[in-house]
Amino acid sequence: MAKHRYADALALALGEEMDKDDSVFIIGEEVGQYLGTLQVTKGFLAKYGPNRVVDTPISEVGIIGLGIGSAMAGLRPVCEMMRLDFSLPAYDQIVQHAAKIRYMFGGQFKVPMVIRGPSGVGRQLSAQHSQALEVLFAHIPGLKVVVPATPADAYGLTKAAIRDDNPVVIIEALRMYFEKPEALEAIQPGLSEIPEGDDWIANIGEAKVLREGKDVTLIGYSTMTISCLRAANLLAQEGISAEVIDLRSLLPLDMATPLASIKKTHRAVVVQEQWGMYGIAAEISAQIAERGFYDLDAPVQRVTGAFVPMPYSKALESLAYPHEEDIVVAAKRTLGGK
Amino acid sequence: MARAATAAPPASHATAKNGSGKEADLDIKKLDAKKYLRFYEQMVHIREFEELCDHAFRQGTHGIGGYLHLYSGEEAIAVGIIGAMDVENGDAFIGHYRDHAYALAAGSEPGEVMAEICGKATGCSKGKGGSMHICDAKLGFYGGYGIVGGNVPIALGLAWAIKYRGENRVCACFFGDGSMNQGGFHETLNMAQLYKVPALFVLENNGYAMGTSIERSHANPNLASRVESYAMEYHVINGQNIFEVHEQVAAIVESMRTNPRPVFLEMKTYRYHGHGAADTQVTQSTYRSREEVEDWKTHRDPIRLAEQALMEAEILTEEERERIHTEAVEAAKAALKFSDDSPDPSPDELLTDVYV
Ligand SMILES: Cc1ncc(C[n+]2csc(CCOP(=O)(O)OP(=O)(O)O)c2C)c(N)n1
Ligand SMILES: [Mg+2]
Repeated sequence: MAKHRYADALALALGEEMDKDDSVFIIGEEVGQYLGTLQVTKGFLAKYGPNRVVDTPISEVGIIGLGIGSAMAGLRPVCEMMRLDFSLPAYDQIVQHAAKIRYMFGGQFKVPMVIRGPSGVGRQLSAQHSQALEVLFAHIPGLKVVVPATPADAYGLTKAAIRDDNPVVIIEALRMYFEKPEALEAIQPGLSEIPEGDDWIANIGEAKVLREGKDVTLIGYSTMTISCLRAANLLAQEGISAEVIDLRSLLPLDMATPLASIKKTHRAVVVQEQWGMYGIAAEISAQIAERGFYDLDAPVQRVTGAFVPMPYSKALESLAYPHEEDIVVAAKRTLGGK
Repeated sequence: MARAATAAPPASHATAKNGSGKEADLDIKKLDAKKYLRFYEQMVHIREFEELCDHAFRQGTHGIGGYLHLYSGEEAIAVGIIGAMDVENGDAFIGHYRDHAYALAAGSEPGEVMAEICGKATGCSKGKGGSMHICDAKLGFYGGYGIVGGNVPIALGLAWAIKYRGENRVCACFFGDGSMNQGGFHETLNMAQLYKVPALFVLENNGYAMGTSIERSHANPNLASRVESYAMEYHVINGQNIFEVHEQVAAIVESMRTNPRPVFLEMKTYRYHGHGAADTQVTQSTYRSREEVEDWKTHRDPIRLAEQALMEAEILTEEERERIHTEAVEAAKAALKFSDDSPDPSPDELLTDVYV
């Protein structure tokens, strides 16, 4: 199995799907001539030409609308948002149109499109460029939302999203993009590996146990999965065995995997980067309460970001989203510690 | 007769019909010498400030993160236009993320602007906004915004408030060529003209939106003419020439006070640095040549053009010129020192200002 960086895994997946299927094309700002804002589509324009690698004006409504219409007409567009925050001008196209068309017309049309782009806290990008907006998509029937944390899933879920016949939003973990394979391997061996051969793709809607443990279940997605693994390493030093579950997909949501884990550990910590109010962690916690209440030995703990727009100053920014130390504290709380 | 050095925009900048039909032909000796000396000085201060920001970003030790979009090359626009406004008495302005110069041109404290860029407690936005989100409420600067086109509809509201209260004020809105491809821009221009609000829409046409040239992103590269469909008055101005910028805009602003209406200005300009700090020499090579940048710096630099004209007109002496440059370097350093000596925001600041 080859080791990859997250961004390279995305590029690999996109390229392979374009090679395999002529109806797949990429459209977005700076994807072609500029070689991609974060170089994910480097070399694509030269290889596939301007009909399949489409540079656009700064017109997100147009990009998504073009995606929807061409998908209805049988193509497989991959719409890149330079940052997922910039999808908001096009939120109407996504929510009112892409997500509704299948149902509203009684199943006559399908919208096999992908909306993808980096998301979450970066390096002091402040309020308008640091959000983790997955809840805005995961709230909408008709959309699928995947949240790859690892290079393997950046690869496997991107390929699965392109082949899916529904509109799929890929929430890419900006802070994982350029993590070196060695750095990932140091957190957990195998973390940078992508399965090879046999046309492997990930299944959308399957969570995964990334690390086995018996005392407490840490549930994360995207960058927070990596923080959970780091927390598990810290907990292990104190003799606490944490199981780490990577959700991988928020819509559809696999609750069977976390519930099975909680049956074993009896404790759960749910982690998300953005503020917790009405968030993803709230949904997971509610489902645990409904379906796993009698397996629990302690209240479910949520670890989430502060309920504030992202501040710029490094000093404040690092207080605004969860770190592994916060997860450790929450895990200990479920174990009766303070 | 001393004349404002004219610098025709190069062919890569599609030319538009000048709505006013007038070609700038200025006798500098007849202009307000003191005012233009001040504008010249302001431009030099802004340039040195921006260049020091760039340096400080690269040093990596002053707290600057994020993207850092610099204004070098475009100074005559902020200085000439904000200089035509009365920001102390209710004129308003709003900008995009390339925003340090708007504040500095209006007279904001450079230390507070620098401290914001460095994320310090003493920054104008308390370190919460950073480089893209400078503001100064007391000078009518309603802020810099990070979403392309996001500030344009807000300008409609600022101008609406002026009209609502029956004041003879104006609101200037600065934005880039990229903004004109956002839907909200077009909704705004239509409404502004419909309601006749006193909004001055200032397009800073620097030829590129990030790595995409005008020709590659606008079906009609004659940008000013795009507002003809809203029946809005427009003017195309050489944004590199402070005399042309200020004389024309000052007249337009005064006429907007007595005859309230929206006006669109296309300012032809150029940015010297990459789009932001992440746009390196390597990424820039995908969309523009070093020769092109050098050509603008050599032939159309707003500071150099002003300097030549002012010296020819014997308004600026060599000694004055040197003094101004030395002071500008010192002022920028002092701003950075103020920032360096300032504390980080205290942890309790995290939760304040979310609500009133
Ligand atoms: C809605 C939206 N899409 C994309 C971006 C990313 N972005 C930031 S600035 C920029 C280029 C804008 O160029 P222009 O409007 O010409 O202003 P300039 O930077 O040249 O001053 C882009 C694509 C954004 N901030 N907002
Ligand atoms: Mg531009």
